[in-house]
Amino acid sequence: MKAGVWPPLLLGAGLIAVWEIYVRAAGIDPLLLPPPSAVARYIAQNAGLLATNGASTLAELLIGFACGVVIGLSLGILMQVWRWFHDAAYPWLVATQMVPIPAVAPILVLWFGFTIVPKAATVALMCFFPIAVNTLDGLSSVDSELIRLLRTFGAGPWQVMSLAAFPAALPSIFSGVRVAMALSVIGAVVGEWVGSTHGLGYLMLHFENRGETAGLFATVTVLTIMGIILFFLVGWVEAWVIPWRRHAKETP
Amino acid sequence: MNTAATAMKVRGVSRTYRDRAHSVTALQGTDLDVPEGRFVSIVGPSACGKSTLLNLFCGLDKPDSGSIETPALGAGDLLGRVGYMPQQDLLMPWRTVTENASIGLECLGIDRGEARKRAGEHMVRFGLNGFERSYPGQLSGGMRQRVAMLRTFLCDRKINLLDEPFGKLDAMTRASMQTWLLDYWQENRCTIVFVTHDIDEALYLSDVVHLMSPRPGRIILSVQVDVPRPRKYSEVVTSPHFNELKSRLLATLGKES
Repeated sequence: MKAGVWPPLLLGAGLIAVWEIYVRAAGIDPLLLPPPSAVARYIAQNAGLLATNGASTLAELLIGFACGVVIGLSLGILMQVWRWFHDAAYPWLVATQMVPIPAVAPILVLWFGFTIVPKAATVALMCFFPIAVNTLDGLSSVDSELIRLLRTFGAGPWQVMSLAAFPAALPSIFSGVRVAMALSVIGAVVGEWVGSTHGLGYLMLHFENRGETAGLFATVTVLTIMGIILFFLVGWVEAWVIPWRRHAKETP
Repeated sequence: MNTAATAMKVRGVSRTYRDRAHSVTALQGTDLDVPEGRFVSIVGPSACGKSTLLNLFCGLDKPDSGSIETPALGAGDLLGRVGYMPQQDLLMPWRTVTENASIGLECLGIDRGEARKRAGEHMVRFGLNGFERSYPGQLSGGMRQRVAMLRTFLCDRKINLLDEPFGKLDAMTRASMQTWLLDYWQENRCTIVFVTHDIDEALYLSDVVHLMSPRPGRIILSVQVDVPRPRKYSEVVTSPHFNELKSRLLATLGKES
């Protein structure tokens, strides 16, 4: 992590510089591609607007994400515990991922109106699947010899799950959670596109319709930064929940 | 020695594993007596059914025919009542040394704090003091094996089954672990059934050594090791009695395979 901060920052700064120089030197119409300086100015001048709309997107995203985590974990655990449930439900879970989310989102708006519910539901719909699949994979990856050992200690199925299978599955579960976090940003924006009166997704449409390209770029920038922070927050929580991974690397 | 009560009485035990295409007879007509409070070893070539036998002894598996009686434990399912230490240490990477050692007690329903306290009391005896909060990934092979052994012995079972516990250790570590185990057993006389493919190890540690035939496994020779305890490795392995027993075991093994 220590050495990892500078290379991406330097690369980003370099790309922004190239973009700025190119737009200025080639005399590009700022309506087609605004220079980074114009985007930065827009963010600074409209910080309040971006912050309020960013906050509502963040709320939708976090509620949807939380629901997705709970649903994904529960499905993964149930599929591991009950073989028949796994066989019955798995194809249908895959089917939910084949249905294009932009097609489902308007129906959700139809059902729940211009509230936070359809956006959170869209996010949850995108989130739960990678978590469910990774939970299932992680739970079934536990060493069968370890389960046998615990049984000689008199452990029942619930103890096997809580003492061995679940902790063993945590690294895999977190892989799913990280993917879900990245997807949840997309889910929130799609949810807003099909029916909302505020949020960063709504702002994007608004700026696009009015031809305010700098505003559009500013909104995307804020959304991106929000997504990156959330993604790394998951990594931070993971390091806290799975401390043995860090310790294992201390000795050769 | 013959007056000791019997901890485990095995009569005519057979076990065959079947799947669609094959059937493998791992054990056929195995007879064995394990006296209470003794150190008993089972040696044999690889894949002779030693591990199958231990699986039956600890209740993870059931024989197709024959009987396993445990007068020391009384009647009932053996699962959860016989101590078992598998070949691999199977330490949980997410638990510290103390937490790994106490997992058996936790499975028995003992309060987590109490279980960890009890594990903590044995850290010095098991040479793990100072490493209580370390994770298994930070330990050497010998230390991992001692954590696994503490985990088994902490459950305080009358009968403990050890499946090649030192098989993966280097020669030096193995020798010191053998001596350590003997010292520990001398203080806490439980019944031990020790599986190994190392004849020297079996003779050094045991009161009785049972030799198994290649598959299908059964006991083909049992020898008493009449060397007084405490034993010294260098003295035992150079004694004529040791060498006589060793050549008997090797000769019988050679005839069978």
